[in-house]
Amino acid sequence: MTTVQSKQDVALMAHLLRRASFGGTRREVEERLEMGYEAAVDDLLSRSKPFSMPEDIIRRYHVDQSDLRNGQAAGAHWVYRMATTPNPLEEKMALLWHRVFATAATKLIQARMVVNQVEMFREYGMGNFRDLLVQLSRDPGMLMWLDNQDNHKDQINENYGREILELFSMGVGNYTEEDIKECSRAFTGWSVVNPDYMSIKMRNNTARPYGYIAWQFNYDEDDHDHEEKIFLGERGDFNGEDVVDIICKQEATPRFIARHLYHFFVADEAPVPQWPYEDPKDPEAIDIMTQAYFDSGYDISAMLRVMFNSDFFKDEAVRFGRIKSPAEMVVGTLRLAGGLELPSMETYAAAGVCSQMGQALYAPPSVEGWQGGSEWINTGSYVHRVNFASKVLGNPNKPGLRMLIGDVRSYAEDGALDAETLVDACFDVIGPMPVLDSTRQGLIDYAEKWGDLSFGDDDSAEFAEQKIVTMLQMAVTTQEYQLA
Amino acid sequence: MATQTITKPFTLKYVDTIGFVADQGGRGFHLPTDMVIREDGRIFVASRSNTTALDIVGIQMAAVDHQFFGQLYGYGRGDGQMIWPSALALDSDNMLYMADDFLQRVTVYDADGNYVSKWGTVGAGNGEFDGPSGLTFDADDNLLLVDHRNHRVQRMTKDGQFISKFGSYGSGDGEFNLPWGIAQDKDWQIYIADWRNDRIQKFTPEGEFIAAFGSTGDGEGQFSRPSGLAVDSDGNMYVADWGNQRVQVLDADGNFITSLRGEATLGEWAVEYLNANADELDARSRFVPEFEVDVEDEHEASARIESYFWDPVTVVLDEQERVYVLETCRHRFQVYEKIK
Repeated sequence: MTTVQSKQDVALMAHLLRRASFGGTRREVEERLEMGYEAAVDDLLSRSKPFSMPEDIIRRYHVDQSDLRNGQAAGAHWVYRMATTPNPLEEKMALLWHRVFATAATKLIQARMVVNQVEMFREYGMGNFRDLLVQLSRDPGMLMWLDNQDNHKDQINENYGREILELFSMGVGNYTEEDIKECSRAFTGWSVVNPDYMSIKMRNNTARPYGYIAWQFNYDEDDHDHEEKIFLGERGDFNGEDVVDIICKQEATPRFIARHLYHFFVADEAPVPQWPYEDPKDPEAIDIMTQAYFDSGYDISAMLRVMFNSDFFKDEAVRFGRIKSPAEMVVGTLRLAGGLELPSMETYAAAGVCSQMGQALYAPPSVEGWQGGSEWINTGSYVHRVNFASKVLGNPNKPGLRMLIGDVRSYAEDGALDAETLVDACFDVIGPMPVLDSTRQGLIDYAEKWGDLSFGDDDSAEFAEQKIVTMLQMAVTTQEYQLA
Repeated sequence: MATQTITKPFTLKYVDTIGFVADQGGRGFHLPTDMVIREDGRIFVASRSNTTALDIVGIQMAAVDHQFFGQLYGYGRGDGQMIWPSALALDSDNMLYMADDFLQRVTVYDADGNYVSKWGTVGAGNGEFDGPSGLTFDADDNLLLVDHRNHRVQRMTKDGQFISKFGSYGSGDGEFNLPWGIAQDKDWQIYIADWRNDRIQKFTPEGEFIAAFGSTGDGEGQFSRPSGLAVDSDGNMYVADWGNQRVQVLDADGNFITSLRGEATLGEWAVEYLNANADELDARSRFVPEFEVDVEDEHEASARIESYFWDPVTVVLDEQERVYVLETCRHRFQVYEKIK
């Protein structure tokens, strides 16, 4: 493979793709380098390309991904999307918002409602934060998740009013208990169509008689508290949108969102409950993103753009400093291997293994979502990671893998690959990905048992391809591959 | 072909709904994909079910008067078992044929529902197939099989021997793009739901192209991924317009007659369930069944309005030419009758 870019440029672009996408092969890194770093950031932010696996195809072959009632089917449905999308940052942002605005199918029973919520994240999750917060407040899954169907003008339920302030916008310490009550009053009447029946179906956990009925937002004017409210120092007959407007004006809001973005894309932060008591890891980074939020009129993409183009993001010290989430690792590996152009049960296995590794899609463990970081790795989850990655890269007929094999083969000199070149080539084509000397040497020692690989005749070429596949499998089972 | 609205020769009147979500077994269906009606009135429904309810993968048997006769076979790779049942057909001896899109085979059961045989070889050669998705028997009691990923129809003997074929990939006359359902009229002319070309194609009994009806869209006479159809004795076509979540009726020339969006009511099995669950019955008394949805996507609208068709996958006529519409995501079929 011809390398025309500097090693530093290549390493930086690979870093961007690990964070803003699900990783990229050396080939993809080179393609992005052609357009330049800032243009590559803009391209990732543009989201202009259509989804590559059409819904009609998915629904025809996987009928359970049509009603999307079942969590396994819903998980597989998202895996399709993540593994085949040409807009990977959109999916990464959907994952981020799913973590921040954590809503679980385990309570809602019909996974479809969380699927619809995540679809809303795709539409609004990289746009104006005010719009996103209004949509979140109207989202039927969120309303039922936080019991807002029980928030009435004569008897408020504070769940949503509390969480929108504590977990979805400003964070603890920036409002009072009185603000929570006033916020809840503003959201009275925000419910779903047929709330009684839908609540009972959710409680009874039954799809009978004809399958679940998906929920639709409903604003009940008669059940809304139209009296005056005092919220964050402002006074008026506030409705939900007014409260969101006031929230979005507060400096605490972009600082809270910026800290989430930093944690997700740059470096691990402390768990959210500690944020009121611990300064951000990089206060200047939070300042920069906060400024971008106000300068742009609350635009999330403006915050992302300034983040990806900043020195704090590009810093070599943060590279490979995050442990890939299960979804990032699983999807990144599926994208490496390719082959999901046609419907495949592999997506169910992929969603299942995400769950086994601690990240059941559409089923975060609590309202605080997944903390991530070192919590992603334990003995059991590591075994699942290794087994999954090795299995996915074990089928040499997959188109992505065939391309990687060809790329590794191109490193041959005089028609042969020695052990050292083979190992270096494998880590280069999947990243490039630097590894510890001990890792590299261990793999070279292993590969030396095969001797130099040659491609002179069919038998030799077949043997060589098998060994390239084996080495690629070993590459994705290293501890370095778990890092982004 | 352009369509024109003509004086309606008939309308369709809703009669009844038969079904129940059998996600935990028992009476009902679960994510059904096809149905056939035997001359004695017994109805066979193939349920695909999902990964957490594999026991329900199978062929359920019922009657239009709400009788339920149990399930034939179940999930698996063994004789008589199935993984992705996709199509059913009955031959002149009432032997039941079931196509399995996952196992890539046809399984044959006798009139009592006992396993008889299975056959099928994956491939693109004569007699091989890739994704059997529609079945019906021709005038000579040979099987017409929609070989959808090979974009063609094959005529085969009952034991799977190749006789002939027609169709290839494309969007021209006689070409297909992932075809799905198949039907014949009283003259044994063949109709194919050309799924991803958004049209119905009509062929002679020998497989020669006659006409194509419809184009992409949601207007009258247009289709979005038509999946199955039936043809009555006058040549009127009843098309499961799957992507548009409706059934369209066209006359023999392709002119639009009428369209159905679904108007299911609580059938006998549903009523019995609600009578045994007082809290749900009580909440249902304050239930608004139809309301204005705030989305344009008809699939999502169907998810919200219980009476609407949700993934109407096929249409079947009984001997009185009553119209049965099978809905995958609502686990039921709705019955309509012609009113002239």
